Amino acid sequence: MYEFAYHKPSSVADAVKLLSADPEARPIAGGHTLLPALKHRLARPTALVDLSGIAELRGIRREGDKVVIGALARHAEVANSDAVKGAIPALARLAGTIGDVQVRNRGTLGGSVANNDPAADYPAAVLGLGATVVTDRRRIAADDFFTGMFSTALEPGELLVAIEFPIPEKAGYAKMKNPASRYVMTGAFVSRGPQGVRVAINGAGPCVFRQREMEAALAANWSPDAVANIRQSPDGLNSDIHGSAEYRAHLVTVMAKRAVADAG
Amino acid sequence: MNVVSNKWIGQRTIRPDGADKVTGRAAYAADATMPGMIWGKILRSPHPHARIRSIDTSKAEALPGVKAVVTAKDIVDFPVDTPVPLGIQDMRWMCRNVMAREKALFHGHPVAAVAATTEEIAAEACRLIEVDYEVLPWVIEIEDAIRPDAPILHDFLRFEGRPSNIAGKLEHRLGDVEAGFAEADVVIERSFATRPVHQGYIEPHACLVSVAPDGKTTIWSSSQGQFMVRAMTSLLTGIPQSDIRAIPAEIGGGFGGKTIIYLEPVAVMLSKKSGRPVKMVMTREEVMRATGPTSASRSTVKIGARRDGRIVAAQGTFYLQAGALPGSPIRGAAGCAFAPYDIPNVHSVGYDVVSNRSKVAAYRAPGAPIGAYAVECVLDELAEALGMDPLELRLKNAARQGTKAAHGPVYPRIGFAETIEAALAHPHYKAPLGKRQGRGVACGFWFNAGGESSAQVNVTEDGNVVVTTGHPDIGGSRASIANITAELLGIDYRRVSVLIGDTATIGYSNLTGGSRVLFASATVVTQSVEKVITQLRERAAKIWGIDPDAVKWEDGQALPAGDNAGRFPPLTLKQLAAKASETGGPIGAGVQLNTTGAEGGFATHICDVEVDPELGIVRVVRYTAFQDAGRAIHPGYVEGQMQGGVAQGIGWALSEEYVYDRQGRVDNASFLDYRMPVCSDLPMIDTVIIEVPNPKHPQGVRGVGEVPIVPPLAAISNAVYNALGRRFYSLPMSPPKVLATLEGAAA
Ligand SMILES: Cc1cc2nc3c(=O)[nH]c(=O)nc-3n(C[C@H](O)[C@H](O)[C@H](O)COP(=O)(O)OP(=O)(O)OC[C@H]3O[C@@H](n4cnc5c(N)ncnc54)[C@H](O)[C@@H]3O)c2cc1C
Repeated sequence: MYEFAYHKPSSVADAVKLLSADPEARPIAGGHTLLPALKHRLARPTALVDLSGIAELRGIRREGDKVVIGALARHAEVANSDAVKGAIPALARLAGTIGDVQVRNRGTLGGSVANNDPAADYPAAVLGLGATVVTDRRRIAADDFFTGMFSTALEPGELLVAIEFPIPEKAGYAKMKNPASRYVMTGAFVSRGPQGVRVAINGAGPCVFRQREMEAALAANWSPDAVANIRQSPDGLNSDIHGSAEYRAHLVTVMAKRAVADAG
Repeated sequence: MNVVSNKWIGQRTIRPDGADKVTGRAAYAADATMPGMIWGKILRSPHPHARIRSIDTSKAEALPGVKAVVTAKDIVDFPVDTPVPLGIQDMRWMCRNVMAREKALFHGHPVAAVAATTEEIAAEACRLIEVDYEVLPWVIEIEDAIRPDAPILHDFLRFEGRPSNIAGKLEHRLGDVEAGFAEADVVIERSFATRPVHQGYIEPHACLVSVAPDGKTTIWSSSQGQFMVRAMTSLLTGIPQSDIRAIPAEIGGGFGGKTIIYLEPVAVMLSKKSGRPVKMVMTREEVMRATGPTSASRSTVKIGARRDGRIVAAQGTFYLQAGALPGSPIRGAAGCAFAPYDIPNVHSVGYDVVSNRSKVAAYRAPGAPIGAYAVECVLDELAEALGMDPLELRLKNAARQGTKAAHGPVYPRIGFAETIEAALAHPHYKAPLGKRQGRGVACGFWFNAGGESSAQVNVTEDGNVVVTTGHPDIGGSRASIANITAELLGIDYRRVSVLIGDTATIGYSNLTGGSRVLFASATVVTQSVEKVITQLRERAAKIWGIDPDAVKWEDGQALPAGDNAGRFPPLTLKQLAAKASETGGPIGAGVQLNTTGAEGGFATHICDVEVDPELGIVRVVRYTAFQDAGRAIHPGYVEGQMQGGVAQGIGWALSEEYVYDRQGRVDNASFLDYRMPVCSDLPMIDTVIIEVPNPKHPQGVRGVGEVPIVPPLAAISNAVYNALGRRFYSLPMSPPKVLATLEGAAA
């Protein structure tokens, strides 16, 4: 192990102060992504700012036509939350299929979304529901948040505080799991509601993206059949030892169809 | 054959290693530590094939904290022209596998090793070693390696007079296949391919080694044979066996992959040079790159039958990948392939092919699943062509007592037909199938093995029993031996402690492999216990002043054999133990034998799959395995073996494979990328144990650990055909592949 400083602030303000004082410092939430990165020397921060003592980052609540989930909410908390299950059951189901029990009891919404792994689950829900990411200093629309592979609109030292999910009329999620890592090979989160009709695709490309052609088709006819014949171009999609870009392109259609069926 | 009068044999007694394993107390090799211990680390080749011109270790040696550096110069060299066999291994290849000698033969091949005060310094020192490589052309796949213009790995290997990557050939012949095929009404010939898969044991290789100043060497390591560790380490380091004590740690899985060594001789030389105990633990990545796996294969099988279903001729050609050094399991592929059937004319050939990948290691019934995959898929097509039920076809041709197998033996009483009959009668075989579901069957055979075993059975002063044997327990041997000892002595199994001795405390015992352990150790334990019972009767006779023949042993106590023997109250084991010193001294006996008579094991499997045609995903939804265990001493363990073998077979058939990149490196050397099935991928695997006792064993035991991985590859393939109407001739049947085939069919 190499040396780094460890801080455990108890407020967002203190955490942000620590992070802005040292550009090489990094926040740590569940640590399920950051710790392996440290172990493999993919990241070598000078300091870790442990968010677990910050009460403001916790909690899941319904506020009018939104569900607001704190950055520190664990996947299992989201999966089991009555507020989420009642208002956006597809989001609770999604959270309940992330990794395994250990991962769900440790990993957090904020950590997953800030990390923006192309094969992560949550980014599809954030984009597919047209959520708003609330940080210590601003509000960022989902459409502007995910900027590329493992990158987001968050500035250095900016803390993700909560995510506001508008409550949709309908929403559904379907994914195929990678047969080795069990992360997402390709998934689709679809919704219809205050943010219009949205189809967000994860796993297939370097970053979660909206499938506009399918959105248009579903706006006209909300049914699995509406997307069944829409082909995703394989250009720019991921290709690896588990599946080619063509295979993933095929999965986009199948997953979208199944997500619409899941939404009902 | 669960004899009603048996009290412990056939019982699901509590396993002696269970509590330690579930509470984390079990001590694996990586848990061992010693005062003054330092860390060893291996530098591995970055090239798949390269001549090693020179190695400069001076910078590494100068790094503070570095205590020793070793290279191939420190390992005993066995010249390539003289075979030095040890079991199924050859030390010519082992010495080159643990440390590259003339050439680095695969990416990840060890070229040097360092011991330092911390793991980080050892890793840093490895980076400071300068190796001058002459990079050579390389070859990975069988089909490329056997091409006439292929890069040759070993100049000394010749096949049919020419330099070649074919390192060996094995052939079985019975009757006259040409004449046999001429008699056939239906002949099916097909070619198949399988990919290399790793044993996937959860515990990486690890050892702690201490060489004392007087040369006495102690090794704690995770292996399938402490005596194998001792013998190989002795040969590779030149230290006599009598100076090496190999202590087996609890083992976290092996599946054959721990029947050879990688780290021990290197750690010994590092310890010898540094004067410090040296610990080495592989990372998962090292395990995936440089240990195991099993062979890839290319096979062609041709089978001919008469219209009535009688098979008259069979021919098989099996090319198996050996990895960088000779020694693929062609015997298992060519020998087991046709072994379940009574076929008058057989020709079966195996070829051992080297290429620039890690040397294969044994994997559960080595080679047999490859042979059975091809044969059992062809039988499925044959049954279809003949309009016969696939199990009826197999039953009609099933080997029975007296059948002469192409690989040599004439079978004694075997239980193969019983497994097929049980499958035919089982509700699973007739259960209705759902949409997109299919059912397949397949059978399998494994040789099983006897060999050397030693046991010591001692009665403690307080009248309990300690049994020591010499085989690491990877499949429940301790629990089973406790059952047998308790049964024979007529005492509660909880009064029997079963331990695995080290090489200094128990006599030579061959390694845990070939499904031999319970067969062989039950034999020596039984004879030892019989000797102990004789002693107990003698002690009682002495106390009573009668002839030992007039004393019998029953229910854990000595009794007068009949009314004429006299009237004495029984003497229990406890009472006799308490009087042991007065009646002649400690009570105990040991037996050492080269056991024989481990007859073959047979299985029949039924598999249901469901295919998601949009994704290409094949899921096994129901599975029933029928197997002749001879006698299930501990049924829970037999079932566990059957389920484990099937689970590994499912991985092999549907998802697992080694993938190489364009630089000749393993591209999926971690569980994040290597597709091993997990619980959620598997159905409950049902088991039906058939017991046709092995006439050559005191309890009727046959090996059970390996047979269950033999049928699944074909059973699943046949089920996929039944579901889709499309046959696959190569594994794994991974989603993109299945989908492409379905789309090809639709187009
Ligand atoms: C075995 C395993 C399987 C997994 N399977 C899946 C899966 O199937 N699907 C899936 O989606 N994920 C999966 N994950 C990932 C898991 O969900 C992670 O927990 C998650 O991606 C990161 O959350 P975390 O709280 O652990 O973040 P951390 O590891 O603590 O942090 C991740 C990154 O986010 C930053 N960060 C954390 N919190 C904040 C914040 N509030 N504001 C700004 N930046 C922040 C950190 O600095 C770091 O860069 C798996 C992980 C493991 C170990």
